[in-house]
Amino acid sequence: MLALRKVTKRFGPITALDDVSLEIAPGEFFGLLGPNGAGKSTLMSLVAGLRAPEAGTITLDGQPVASGASVVRRNLGLVPQTIALFPGLTAEENLRIFGELQGLRGLNLKAALDEAFAAAQLEDRRRSLVKTFSGGMQRRLNLVAALLHRPKLLLCDEATVGVDPQSRNAIFEYLQRLNRSGITIIYSTHYMEEAERLCSRIGIIDHGRILALGTLDDLLTRLPFEDELTFPANSATAPLAAQLAAVGEITVVDGTHRFRPRPGYPLSAFFALAESLGLPPRLFTSQRPTLEALFLHLTGRKLRDA
Amino acid sequence: MSQVRILLRKGLLSFWRNKAAVYITFLVPILLIYLFGHVFGLYRKDSGPTGIPIAVVNLSSEPAAQKLIAALRAEKTFAVITTRDLGKGATRPLTEADVRAGLHDNWYRYALILPADLLPDQDFGVRMKFLFNPRNEIESQMVNGLLQKTVFSNVPQLLGQSLQKNARRFLGDERFKRFNRTIANTVADNFGGDRDAIYRQTIAGDFGFSDLSRIDAKPELAPPGVPTGDGPPGLRRLDQSNAAVSPSPNRKPEIETQKPADIFSRMVKIETEQVAGKELKNPMAARLVGGYAVMFLLFAVSGSVTTLFEEKDSGVFQRLLSSPVRPAHILWARFLFGVILGLVQITVLFCAGRVFFGLDIFGHAGALLAVSLSAAAACSAFGMLIAAISPSAAAANGIATFVVLSMSAVGGAWFPVSFMPDYIQRVSKLTLVYWSVEGFADVLWAGRSLLEVLPKVGILAGIAAGVMLVAVWRFNRGRLFD
Repeated sequence: MLALRKVTKRFGPITALDDVSLEIAPGEFFGLLGPNGAGKSTLMSLVAGLRAPEAGTITLDGQPVASGASVVRRNLGLVPQTIALFPGLTAEENLRIFGELQGLRGLNLKAALDEAFAAAQLEDRRRSLVKTFSGGMQRRLNLVAALLHRPKLLLCDEATVGVDPQSRNAIFEYLQRLNRSGITIIYSTHYMEEAERLCSRIGIIDHGRILALGTLDDLLTRLPFEDELTFPANSATAPLAAQLAAVGEITVVDGTHRFRPRPGYPLSAFFALAESLGLPPRLFTSQRPTLEALFLHLTGRKLRDA
Repeated sequence: MSQVRILLRKGLLSFWRNKAAVYITFLVPILLIYLFGHVFGLYRKDSGPTGIPIAVVNLSSEPAAQKLIAALRAEKTFAVITTRDLGKGATRPLTEADVRAGLHDNWYRYALILPADLLPDQDFGVRMKFLFNPRNEIESQMVNGLLQKTVFSNVPQLLGQSLQKNARRFLGDERFKRFNRTIANTVADNFGGDRDAIYRQTIAGDFGFSDLSRIDAKPELAPPGVPTGDGPPGLRRLDQSNAAVSPSPNRKPEIETQKPADIFSRMVKIETEQVAGKELKNPMAARLVGGYAVMFLLFAVSGSVTTLFEEKDSGVFQRLLSSPVRPAHILWARFLFGVILGLVQITVLFCAGRVFFGLDIFGHAGALLAVSLSAAAACSAFGMLIAAISPSAAAANGIATFVVLSMSAVGGAWFPVSFMPDYIQRVSKLTLVYWSVEGFADVLWAGRSLLEVLPKVGILAGIAAGVMLVAVWRFNRGRLFD
């Protein structure tokens, strides 16, 4: 559906995207995970046709995006990172304007508005000024404004920044419903939890380059360990930590020991050792490797610090 | 107290980091003070306006007429026009018909006619006619005052000539010469001097008045704010004088003949005639409303274009441009919004002018609409240009404040352009404010038709098109749509 071939974009001396190639199939929920400044928004803006790359091509259903052809634009929906609405107008006036700009008229427009307000759970606030909405309500309206014309490809650029957990959940569920209905979604975020929860395939991006690409399971298998055990870092656990250094990688983060056993090291040996030191099993938590860990592995930096 | 100090430091730091605020606070006022100094002529060594065109028709063969014209030429306030250009370097003397047409068409706003009977054969005194188009009230006051000064400074000589002319007619040529020779000899014998020189002076009607006229007489203007009826305030002294005057043969009802009170002015008969704007209920308002309408239109339109920056910052542009909307759509929509806003604002202001000052806006609706539309288009394009060259909304506001105030001052929205130094007057014609104000004055003051105001409408439309082209070019090279 969407294909990027050797795309490069520069802003003066800064290379925002560096030789990026990527293919996204119809119906995918693709996550673009990376820290701030990694190139996510630049990639989104190129796919949306807002900017042109210095090198490479981007095609949507075989048509070059940069051509600005109406058929390409009508297949795209963009949810910007900011609340891209007119705060001095009512919710309905906002959606009506965006719907009409997409060519919707009459009954089609009315149906699209009804559907959008139902999806955003804002039916009773249609005639309220947007500036009177809470942040979560504005985010939901911001999202549905991009869907009025039923695009094939939805670009969500960090669409839940600053949203309360309840609204975030509502947005996630709506996006998942949309995806199940056949809409392809590219979702950029710097929250690994969001990518893990929503996306069927994830691209990890940093400094304008795609570092890893695949399903969540594919990506996690790239880590040189399979599991991670955590336990409190204190005087009681210090002897255990000292002995574990010989059979794996042990680190202390925020008062917690993180133990990543070497491949082949049986967890039964770990628990036997802990028991011999008089440490109860409830101290230990077994964790699945995360995208955070993968990012750390790939870049040497934490996602949130990058 | 430390909290106050910390917050104060924060305030100062924030202010200093906001370069637009710094420029508006310090640089813009300094530049405006400098510019207004030029507009109001504060840098000139002399004072007062210069080069106000005044047409003079000389139908008299009296040498005194030439002296009067020379005296007018010597006044820096006036640029005396006595001939009409026929092309290829050929000229001919102006006629009364020429100056009436010129006054009507605003080529000049003042004309002095020195009639063939400047020094009447059957009467002792001086006659002349003053025609004017008081399109600028302040200018009219000033010109009338200076004109009175110039004329009255030369009146003694004129009266001397008139006296001698009547003496020659009464005594006959031979006795007239003998009489003057006797006087010259008597003067020379008793007071000294050359008999022939005194004779020549005496027979020319110069009884020593030429020395008097070198004493610079100050113009006597009517006090500011004194009501003057339909005529300009500068004519008040003449209007209110009491002496009877002989009616002009072709006198129209609106022609007034003045009767000054002093010894000279009793013998000076100046007919004045207002050539344009006689029917206006409130002539000052005709200009004032137009000037201020344009200035506030500029402010309104410039302010509205800053929403382009807000929409960019909010991401609305991203949303719009990812849909079938192109940057050109956004720009032209904003331009048209400015035109409509401007048109509505002008309409409201002129309606207010109608209510408050009795402006006749319905009698010239077509022409007024054409000027308003072209002025609104020019203002809207100007607003777009400011947005195009500004990096941010704050910068746009600063630039708009500076340019709107400057253009309003230089363009004549507040103050007659003719009072400004020559170089400012030339700059004035480059501003849309000048052409808008002149267009409104053409309609509301001179009552011009749609056809007659088309040239100014064309200039404003040309300004709108040119400025908009530059703005679009700048937008395409700028970062508004990045």
